[in-house]
Amino acid sequence: MKTKKGLTLGILVMVVFSLILSACGSNNNSSSSNKVDEKAVDEIVFAMPTFNAIPEDLSKVTEAINAITVDKIGVKVDFKLYGPADYAQKVNLALQSGDKMDVFTTLGQFTNYVSKNQLYPIEDLLAEHGKELIEIVEKDFGPDFLKATTIGGHTYGVPVNKGMSLPISFVYNADMLKEIGKTSDDITSIEDLPAIFEAIKQKFPDVVPFGPINVNPSDTGLINYIKGTSKIDFLTDTSGIGVVVDGDGQVVNLYETDAFIDGVKMMNAWFNNGYLQKDAATTTITSTELMASDRLFSYMGGYGGMEAASSISAQTGKNIEMKRIAPFYFDTNAVNSVSWLVSSTTKVPEAAVKFLNLLYTDQQLINTILYGIEGEDFIKVDEHHVKFPDGKNANTVSYTAMLSTGIVGSESIQYQFEGINWSDVELKLKENKETERSPYFGFIFDPSPVKTQISAVTNVVNQYLPGLVTGALDPETIIPKFVQALKDAGAEAIIQSKQDQLNAWIAEQQ
Amino acid sequence: MTKARALKKTLPLFMLAIPGLLYFLINSYLPMFGVFIAFKDVNYAKGIFGSDWIGFDNFTFLFQTKDAWIMTRNTLLYNLVFIALGTVFSIMIAIFMAELLKKVYAKLFMSGLILPNLISMVVLSMLVFAFLNADSGFVNKSILAPLGLPEISWYTESKYWPYILVFIQIWKTAGYGSIVYFASIAGIDKSIYEAAKIDGAGKIRQIRTITLPLLKPTVIILVLMSLGRIFNSDFGLFYQVPMNSGALYSTTQTIDTYVYRALMQLNDIGMSAAAGLYQSIVGFALVVIVNAIVRKVSPENALF
Repeated sequence: MKTKKGLTLGILVMVVFSLILSACGSNNNSSSSNKVDEKAVDEIVFAMPTFNAIPEDLSKVTEAINAITVDKIGVKVDFKLYGPADYAQKVNLALQSGDKMDVFTTLGQFTNYVSKNQLYPIEDLLAEHGKELIEIVEKDFGPDFLKATTIGGHTYGVPVNKGMSLPISFVYNADMLKEIGKTSDDITSIEDLPAIFEAIKQKFPDVVPFGPINVNPSDTGLINYIKGTSKIDFLTDTSGIGVVVDGDGQVVNLYETDAFIDGVKMMNAWFNNGYLQKDAATTTITSTELMASDRLFSYMGGYGGMEAASSISAQTGKNIEMKRIAPFYFDTNAVNSVSWLVSSTTKVPEAAVKFLNLLYTDQQLINTILYGIEGEDFIKVDEHHVKFPDGKNANTVSYTAMLSTGIVGSESIQYQFEGINWSDVELKLKENKETERSPYFGFIFDPSPVKTQISAVTNVVNQYLPGLVTGALDPETIIPKFVQALKDAGAEAIIQSKQDQLNAWIAEQQ
Repeated sequence: MTKARALKKTLPLFMLAIPGLLYFLINSYLPMFGVFIAFKDVNYAKGIFGSDWIGFDNFTFLFQTKDAWIMTRNTLLYNLVFIALGTVFSIMIAIFMAELLKKVYAKLFMSGLILPNLISMVVLSMLVFAFLNADSGFVNKSILAPLGLPEISWYTESKYWPYILVFIQIWKTAGYGSIVYFASIAGIDKSIYEAAKIDGAGKIRQIRTITLPLLKPTVIILVLMSLGRIFNSDFGLFYQVPMNSGALYSTTQTIDTYVYRALMQLNDIGMSAAAGLYQSIVGFALVVIVNAIVRKVSPENALF
């Protein structure tokens, strides 16, 4: 009896162990990555989002990066690459579970990271180890660059250094425009568009004249247009509750402003005239997809430089052109929405800042991160341009992250792909300095005192905004309901909190 | 000796249960340790244990707006309808299958009915979209238009969605749910039916007086178990299938979608923990209450 019991117990233990082992077996080969000699070399984890396919084997690129960083600053980099959809999740998981994560980026969540104390203040370390970085960002953007990530005297990150000004452009199919007998000179402002839409509708009954630039939730670019033309500062909160119009110091609800109401009325008129598709508010088909299949004539969106139309043309296979119809307006959010940060849990803040410095200033490092190994993954064409090796493309080279050019490092030292005019980069940098800045540029709203209200208004905005900006809902009846629902959800508390923080910030600046 | 014999009998069964128990231990019991996060203002510099206690502040966002009533009502009513209709349809399917003379057909139909359960909600939402979209949807173009009826903009009219969602849920889950009932029916002693037949009972009579009463314990257990999750909702069904359309919130907003939409930007783990705890406690209370009622009415069918 006893032996039998022992036997069953033995089997039991074996079953448990084999279960545990089989669960562990799948990931026991991930820890043994490349081992370089470890004499006084600090190690950091650097996570970057990529919009290209993630290669299975990163070791070659990691080695190439380490060859540069170990040599120049004595820092070894554990390079991690995640897709845009799960980047934030992976980083948050690492931060919450205490895994090593030193240098990472925000995809629009800067204030949240700050209010939860997840970031390391780097102003002192930047002054010591980031001189070259400060020099290049001030040259490319202006001396106020780091204000966008500075709260109460502490700098919590470095925004990506690129063309930040995204003037509102009307993006259209040039062949169709020609067929109705118009040219780009006929488009100078948004008032010229209805006549063109009407002509398109007559000539091509199957084509939708105007569509949302983003879907799910639908966004027609209207809010951006209003922001540029009416000079609206969103005070680092994209919900629109609590904005300042034209620098008058009064925090108001965007959805009660004349600019918003007029814009929505215009969109509603367009919708009623049949210029947008009937399900514009809920469609899940993207504008580029519709354009590629000749179902859509135009949309509106913010684009930097003058070369964006050619990449949309390549993407859709149509002759796409764009025309600027409204200026851009710099508020803090426009600059800090993609910023590189150092985690508050880092053990080696100095190494992290040294690496940041190199990331913004070292041409070899940034281009290795973006394009991989020279000769294998890309070939240099001239000083500023690269191309793929013969017979290769973005899907067949062993490494490329070329679509991440806009979210990492300094654009002015990145290689551009063959065919893109280098003067465009210079134009973007020029516009960085010339675009009008909000007087509250540098103000960062701390949402933590009103996070209950923010979570509630977010739901209300999601409910009403897509229908309003696509013109599908009648503004006369819906806006009052919308505003009332926002009030019920606590919009006033948010506005008040913003006003208080803004007043304090203004007082601090003097 | 009797103890040893009992142990000998139960040990193999216990071993069979080990994977399941481990699953529950790891996925359901260990995370329970984290419920205290719901009462903390999580601050990463201080760490989870060092963060300040803030009482019930994390819970307030759930009750902040009029939506609190709408989402609670939606969650409860949808789940009640799903449980009631789901049980009825599952039992119907199970009885029909059991009555089929050729077991080959029963197996064939059964597989066909289970198939929808294997379709992911994301795929299903696209199927529904093909039927309902405004420009080229099957319902508008091939059913309403030929009949001369006006086209309906499905994704902006909230009043149709209670029916659409219930239909989808039943279509998707009724076949799968019928398996347990089918098995119970198969376990009923055939001689009871034979005796009834001799006494002159017809098919309907047999079903009413034999099959249904004998299914009662199974029904009670399954309903009790689903009541525990009455404050949770299938996120895919309420978020993906209506295409996250704002105009439909009044009939498609449930607690889960509200929490997701509210915290998507804030990323606050304290508040999400609060929402989860709230749902679990209400579910737990409901199970206990309903079980108490069952124990009063028919003690032998109570779960505990």
